[in-house]
Amino acid sequence: MARRRPPFEARRNGYAINLDEEERHFVRRLVGEVRELLTSLPAGDPKMGRLFPPAYTNASGQDADAEAEYQRLMRDELVASRLDSIGRIDELLADTAMTALTAEQLNAFVVSLNAVRLILGTILGITDEDDDEDPDSPLANEMAMYNYLSWLLDSAVTALMQG
Amino acid sequence: MTLVAAAPSTIVRPEVDESTALDKPWIVLVWNDPINLMSYVTFVFQKLFGYSLEKATELMLDVHEKGKAVVSSGNREKAEMDVYRLHEHGLWATMQKDGDD
Repeated sequence: MARRRPPFEARRNGYAINLDEEERHFVRRLVGEVRELLTSLPAGDPKMGRLFPPAYTNASGQDADAEAEYQRLMRDELVASRLDSIGRIDELLADTAMTALTAEQLNAFVVSLNAVRLILGTILGITDEDDDEDPDSPLANEMAMYNYLSWLLDSAVTALMQG
Repeated sequence: MTLVAAAPSTIVRPEVDESTALDKPWIVLVWNDPINLMSYVTFVFQKLFGYSLEKATELMLDVHEKGKAVVSSGNREKAEMDVYRLHEHGLWATMQKDGDD
């Protein structure tokens, strides 16, 4: 199999995006699912635990009040910020002629891709950093998606750090 | 600033507000987790705190190998904003008073 180009590459004036139509569609579908979850799941749902962690180390002890205040003030901000990133990359990917991104756009990609990974990783129960793909697992498809997203994210981060 | 010595009898001793005068700074910790990529964590440290690649990589490796690292510190407001920005980026960050367990 020919080695494919990295999905994201730093260029002189921004970043190239090398995703075909199918891949763009796939990423849009995944971030669309995250948008659904963000707007429909109740605050305490465990699937979203990684997206809304406690802010205080002693959240159930001496800093319980401050924690409650943080969640009250900041949770909606966190939801809004993520929906904003998702909306931006959805719009970009809908434009099939789009082949270049600004740093700000690629940053929105990175944040959204990571949010998808966090939810998928939570659903998959990823606990070990060296989890391998088991083709017989009932979640093999999700695992393959997760690994694909890891590859996309790593490429986007690498491009941003070079650019 | 002018210092005028007042008669001792008229001095109203200001109450020492323990949350400011004797305040220990708040520290912001990032905890290891099995999902976030090492490259991504390094990237976020550089982006949010302006750390050099070397410093960001060192902190990321501390998180990875020791389970946590102190990534910033300051007053309560700053710490809370840093925690928020780290949460925005999906990192597992918490804050605590320096010296607390």
